[in-house]
Amino acid sequence: MPPDTVQLLSPSRRNFLKALGMTAAIGLINACTNDGATATTAAGGTGGTGGTAAAGGGGAGNFPETPEWNFVFVNHVTTNPFFVPTVYGIEDASAILGTSFQWTGSEGADNGEMVNAMEAAIAGEADGIGVCLVDLEAFNGPTDDALAAGIPVLSYNADAPNSRLCYVGQDLYGSGFEMGNRIVELVGSGKVALFIATPGQLNIQPRIDGALDAIAESGADIEAIDIATGAALEEELSTVEAWYLGNQDATGMFAVDAGSTQAVGQVVRDQNARDNALAGAGGYDLLPETVELVSEGVLDFTIDQQPYLQGFLPTLYLYLYKLSGGVVTPPETNTGLVFLDSSSAQLFLKTSSRFEGDAAEQAIVEPVG
Amino acid sequence: MTDTAVAPPRSQNLWGRVGGFLVARPESTIAIVALALATYFAVVNPAFLTTANIRVISQYMIATAILAAGQVMLLISGEIDLSMGNVYFMTPFLVFFASEAGLVLPLAIVVGVLGAGVVGYLNGAISLGFGIPSFIVTLGMGFVINGFTLNISDGFPKRVPSDAVGAEIFGGANFSGLMWVIIIVIGMHLILKHSRWGVYTVAVGGNPLGASEAGVPSRKIKMRNFILAAMLAGFAGVIEGIRVGSFDPGAGVAGTKVFESVAAAVIGGTALAGGSGTIIGAFLGALVLGILRDGFNLQGVSAFTFTMVLGAAIILAMILNSLANKARIRSQSARL
Repeated sequence: MPPDTVQLLSPSRRNFLKALGMTAAIGLINACTNDGATATTAAGGTGGTGGTAAAGGGGAGNFPETPEWNFVFVNHVTTNPFFVPTVYGIEDASAILGTSFQWTGSEGADNGEMVNAMEAAIAGEADGIGVCLVDLEAFNGPTDDALAAGIPVLSYNADAPNSRLCYVGQDLYGSGFEMGNRIVELVGSGKVALFIATPGQLNIQPRIDGALDAIAESGADIEAIDIATGAALEEELSTVEAWYLGNQDATGMFAVDAGSTQAVGQVVRDQNARDNALAGAGGYDLLPETVELVSEGVLDFTIDQQPYLQGFLPTLYLYLYKLSGGVVTPPETNTGLVFLDSSSAQLFLKTSSRFEGDAAEQAIVEPVG
Repeated sequence: MTDTAVAPPRSQNLWGRVGGFLVARPESTIAIVALALATYFAVVNPAFLTTANIRVISQYMIATAILAAGQVMLLISGEIDLSMGNVYFMTPFLVFFASEAGLVLPLAIVVGVLGAGVVGYLNGAISLGFGIPSFIVTLGMGFVINGFTLNISDGFPKRVPSDAVGAEIFGGANFSGLMWVIIIVIGMHLILKHSRWGVYTVAVGGNPLGASEAGVPSRKIKMRNFILAAMLAGFAGVIEGIRVGSFDPGAGVAGTKVFESVAAAVIGGTALAGGSGTIIGAFLGALVLGILRDGFNLQGVSAFTFTMVLGAAIILAMILNSLANKARIRSQSARL
C-alpha cells in the first residue's frame, strides 16, 4: 500500500464519520419535527400533523374503533392567511374523529409541486385526499389514480369538473352572479372596475365571469372593465390605486379576491372616492382590514365563504366515506354566500376565533350586540 | 516518499480506500447524504421504495436537475442566470403557439427551445457586450420574460395537447422526465469533463486572466453556456408542463425554481465563485432535494414546518460539504 494512503487516512475517516453523523442529524430533525408538530396540534396551533382524540373501548363518539386514518390536504397557497381557519377546521374535525392529517401542496400555486404532493400522498397510501382543483387539467390524472387505488378524493375551495367525489366550497360562479346583481343595484350605470388578482385561476376566475354575466344580463348601462392586479398584496394595492387615479369618474370598484378587495377599500378611503362619482365598492373574503373597511362603510359589502367549513366538512366527509365503505357519498356543499355589511361586520370585528383564523385558542364565541 | 516497511492493518486499508475515494471525488459527500437520507426514509416508511414513490421522487427532481445542469456550466465559468425560472415558464407557451400553428409536437418543442436559446443569447450578448454582471442582466431579463409570458398567455393556463404525437416521450409517460434528466446529465458531464468546451469553461471561471492569456475564447465559451442554460430551462419547462397536463404562466414561483437550481448545484459541490463544479454533483444535489421533499411529504410533515426543515437540511448539507472540502485540501497538501 502506498504511504500517501496512510497519510490520507485520518482526515478522510473523520470526513466519512462526519458525513454519517450529519445525515443522522437530518433524520433526527425530521423525527423531532414530527413530534413537535403533533404537540403543536394538541396545543391548538396551526400546521400540525393532527392528533388522536378518542380513548377507551370504542372509537370517536358512537363510532366503532377505527384506524388513525390520515387525510392529506393539497393546497395551492399553503401559507396564505386565508386558509388558517381551514387548517383549524381540519384540526378540530380530526380531533373529534381521531384521524390525522397533512397540510401540503405549494406555497406559490405551482401545479407541478401540487401534483407531486398529491402523488406522494397516493404512493404513501393516504386514506383520503382533499385538493384545491385550481387547474382544469393538471389534477385529473392524479385524481383518477387515487380513486383507482381506493383513496377517496374531494375538492375544496376550488373546483374543476373531474372524477372527484364532491366539492366543498363556495359556488364561485353563483356568488359572482349575485355580486353582479348587487353591483347593478348599487351603481346603476357608469364605469365599473372589477379587479382580479390572477386571471384564470379557478378559485377566482368563475366569480368575475359570474359578475360580468349578471351585469350584462341586467341590461344596465354599465361599462364593466376587468383588471388583473397580481398575486402580492402590495402589488394589488398599487394596481388598484393607479387605475383609480386614471379613472376618477368610476362609479364602482369591486374585486373578486381577498387581496384586491382590501386594496379597493384602502384606495376608496385614501382617495376619498366617495366624494367623487363612486357609488359602490365591495368584494370578497374577510381579511382583517377588509372587515374594518366594511364596518366603516368604506366598502358596501364583502362576501364570506366560510373557510373554516372548507376544512371541517371535507375531513368529516372523508371519514364518513371510509367508515361507511363508500355508502355515504359526500354531497356537493356550498359553504356559503353571505354578504357582510357595515352592521354584520361588527360581529367579525369584535370577536376573534378559530373560525375567523385570528385566534388559536378554543373558546365559545359570545355573540355581539 | 518511500514505501512503508510495516503495512497498515487490513481495516485501515479499507478506510484508507474509502477515504481516498472521498477525497478524490468531490461528489462523494453529497452521494453519501443522498444514500443516508434514502436509507432513513426507506426504514421509517415502507411506501418510500415503491415504484410509485420512486416515480414521485424523480418528478420532484426533474426541473431542479435539468436547470442545475445548465446553471453549473454558468457558475463554473463565473456567471449566473437568474432568468432561468421565467424562461422555464415562457417556453411551454412558445410550444403551445407553435403547435396551434400546426407544427407537430416534437417540432414545436424545437421551436420553443430555440426561443429559449434566444433569451440566453440576449443574456450573454448584453452581459458580455456591455460588461454588466450577469446577475443583474439576468435578473432584469427575468422580469421582462415574466411580463412577456403573462402577455402571450393572457395570464391563463393552456391545456397541453396531451394526445399529440410524442407527448409520451416528452414528459407524458411515467419516468420519461427521469429519462431526459439522465440523458442530459450524462451528456453535460461528458461535455464538461471530456471536451474542449468543458475544459475552457473551467479555465475562464477559475483563472480568467490566465485563460485569456492562454488564448481561451472566453466570450464565446460564456455565450455558449448562457444559451445552453436557457435552452435547458426551456426544455425542462416543456416536459414538466406536459407531465402536469397544463401550461401555467406560474407568475409566483419562477424565482424558487432558479434558487433550487443554484442550491442543487452548490450542495453538489459547485463553487459559487466559479472555477469548479460537477454536473453529477448538481444531479445528486437535486436528488437530495427531491428525496427530502418527497420523504417529508410521505412522513406527513405539514407545510408550515416543511420549508424550515428543508432549509435546515440544505444548510447542513452545505456544512458537510465545506468540512469535506477542508479535509480534501488538507489531505492534498499532505500528499505533496
